[in-house]
Amino acid sequence: MILVMVRVMALGLWRDRAGLVLVFVLPPLVFIVFATVFSAGASGRLDIRVGVVDQIGGADSQRLVYSLQRRLGGRLTRSPNVAALEDAIESGRVDAGLVLHGDLADAPTPATVLIHPGRKAAGEILIAQVNAAAGENLPELMLRREVARLDPLLALTPDQVRRSARMPLGLASTPPFAAQRVLPGGDPLVIYYAGAVSILFLMFTAMQGAMSLIDERRAGLWLRLGLSTGGVAPLLGGRMLWLTALGVIQALVLFQVAAVVYGVPVLTNLAAWSATAVCAAAASAGIALALAAACNTREQAQPVSTFAFLILAAIGGSMAPRFLMPEALQTLGWLTPHTWVIEAYQTVLWRGLVNATVLEAWTVLASFAGAGFLAALWFEARRRL
Amino acid sequence: MAVEQTKAVLQLAKATRRYGNRAALDQVDLELKESEVYALIGRNGAGKSTLAKAAIGALTLDEGSVRVLGADPSRDRYVRREIGVAPHEIALYLHLTVAENLDVFAALAGVSRARRVSAVARAMDETVCAGRAAERLENLSSGWRRRANLAAAIVHRPRLLVLDEPTEGLDTETWLILRRLIARLRADRTAILLISHNAEDVAVLADRLGVMEAGRLMVEGRPTELMARAFGGRTELVVRLSDAAPSVEPILTARGLAASDQGLCWSGMVVDALAQAREIEMALRSVDVELRELAVHPPGLDALIDWATGSVGA
Repeated sequence: MILVMVRVMALGLWRDRAGLVLVFVLPPLVFIVFATVFSAGASGRLDIRVGVVDQIGGADSQRLVYSLQRRLGGRLTRSPNVAALEDAIESGRVDAGLVLHGDLADAPTPATVLIHPGRKAAGEILIAQVNAAAGENLPELMLRREVARLDPLLALTPDQVRRSARMPLGLASTPPFAAQRVLPGGDPLVIYYAGAVSILFLMFTAMQGAMSLIDERRAGLWLRLGLSTGGVAPLLGGRMLWLTALGVIQALVLFQVAAVVYGVPVLTNLAAWSATAVCAAAASAGIALALAAACNTREQAQPVSTFAFLILAAIGGSMAPRFLMPEALQTLGWLTPHTWVIEAYQTVLWRGLVNATVLEAWTVLASFAGAGFLAALWFEARRRL
Repeated sequence: MAVEQTKAVLQLAKATRRYGNRAALDQVDLELKESEVYALIGRNGAGKSTLAKAAIGALTLDEGSVRVLGADPSRDRYVRREIGVAPHEIALYLHLTVAENLDVFAALAGVSRARRVSAVARAMDETVCAGRAAERLENLSSGWRRRANLAAAIVHRPRLLVLDEPTEGLDTETWLILRRLIARLRADRTAILLISHNAEDVAVLADRLGVMEAGRLMVEGRPTELMARAFGGRTELVVRLSDAAPSVEPILTARGLAASDQGLCWSGMVVDALAQAREIEMALRSVDVELRELAVHPPGLDALIDWATGSVGA
């Protein structure tokens, strides 16, 4: 009897082309948009556009501008004067500006970075790029600046100062104090958004499927279905099973895209990923069935579920990363399935662990599923009385 | 001589169901025997659908009892496979084909996988919808959908069949199919509860008739007997005039007719309507009043409901 209902619902989706697109194509697309935005920010590949004014026009300043140009590619433009540069920043043609106005070797602060108040991050990135360009391509200039800075402290002799100034061009740049190594295991923000987008769409997909309960009631089908010898439980159980299976398939498609495009290690953590996907899909199915069973009409269920799911998604971290949220909101997030799903996927796929947090997440999600299913049974049983 | 005892398939005893202060079913006693067709009529909200739901165990009663073949359908699930229902709506999955729908409902009614193919084929034959077996419901006309709706109700060979307005919107061919189907089911000892507003359904199909009002079963009996009790030999006489004239009033009121439509229409239940019609025609001619229409109608279900509800209330 359960499998009969699974077949009915599966054929319903299979014969609904628009539904297939919404369930399997839209979630990966939204994920790619989120992942592209946030992973770029996290990995330092933000492509800023920079305007530069070289008021000195000396050999050092020209070398610095040339070096920056190499780093930024076609995203560096020259402005004739500071006013023109300010205008370019205000109008959004460039994200930040650089004005070279003092002797690069002697002036305490020979350059100024101009920043729009709405794009402060662009300024930070430009300062880092200027420092990197100077360190890599003008090492003797940086050495002269260091000598000038240390001279009062070390009391260098005039000969020592002269010798430092005669350092040959092409001096090797100073080795970095700390080396950088990117750990394996995928970008955490990409994994975060794979989980976040997955649970967001799972909820809406489950609700669309669960609303067949309301359609059946309206079409008089529920009266006929009520004559089934198994009663209400298998009818709802079939739906629960189908919605869970559909949710797992949907998550599989989305994470497959994440694995192919962003190298998220799904295959190496397949068992733990599968358990998380099943728990997340079952939780969504349970909640959606309870909502559909509680509502009398589609007109009632549609706004109620949209309101509930968007609020849950916002609090649970499906829209903006949880670490950007205030402490109180982060705590509130633990009441939503979204936070648990995101946490479980991150721990499983980024850290490669199945620890107490993951087990706790699976338990909580299974509880959401069970409570939702029982609530749906209760509402449907009441409706029959 | 041995008398064959017909078995009661459906029994309602003092069945009562309230929604707040309103009684949707009020102390209803009803018995439906095998091979019997019982038609239930009444105005909207009279309690017909509530009674049908109670009969199939879709709602529980506040008082009284419902038994289908001796079991309570709201509790004893096994007896539900003996019940078939064709709701007024097309209670089928529109995205499935006719055959797929029947297969689903046969499975839900407990028909084994081995017997399902033949059960589906038989139901489609009996409702003459085998020609559309592989077509999805969403692509079928309303007549074909009604046939499939009926087929789904009988696919598991129920002993009690509940039909809610089965002939509404039916073409003549489908009506005849339904008539043949009911005859065959009756021969197969199926008991049928028919909810209908159609006088022809009741006259042709029903063995017994019950009139409901405010949750109560006001009267019941054979249709012809009820008609005789309600109207004797009387039929409805309708007179329509081209102009309202004061001179017609004594002529028509003397014959028991009442005016409506600002004196342009007169009607009433009369004995020997044809003779009365002839007299009225002559009388109106004598006062020089032009007659637009003079009609004699057999009393309909609405008149019967009026009689049943009015007579009991009196």
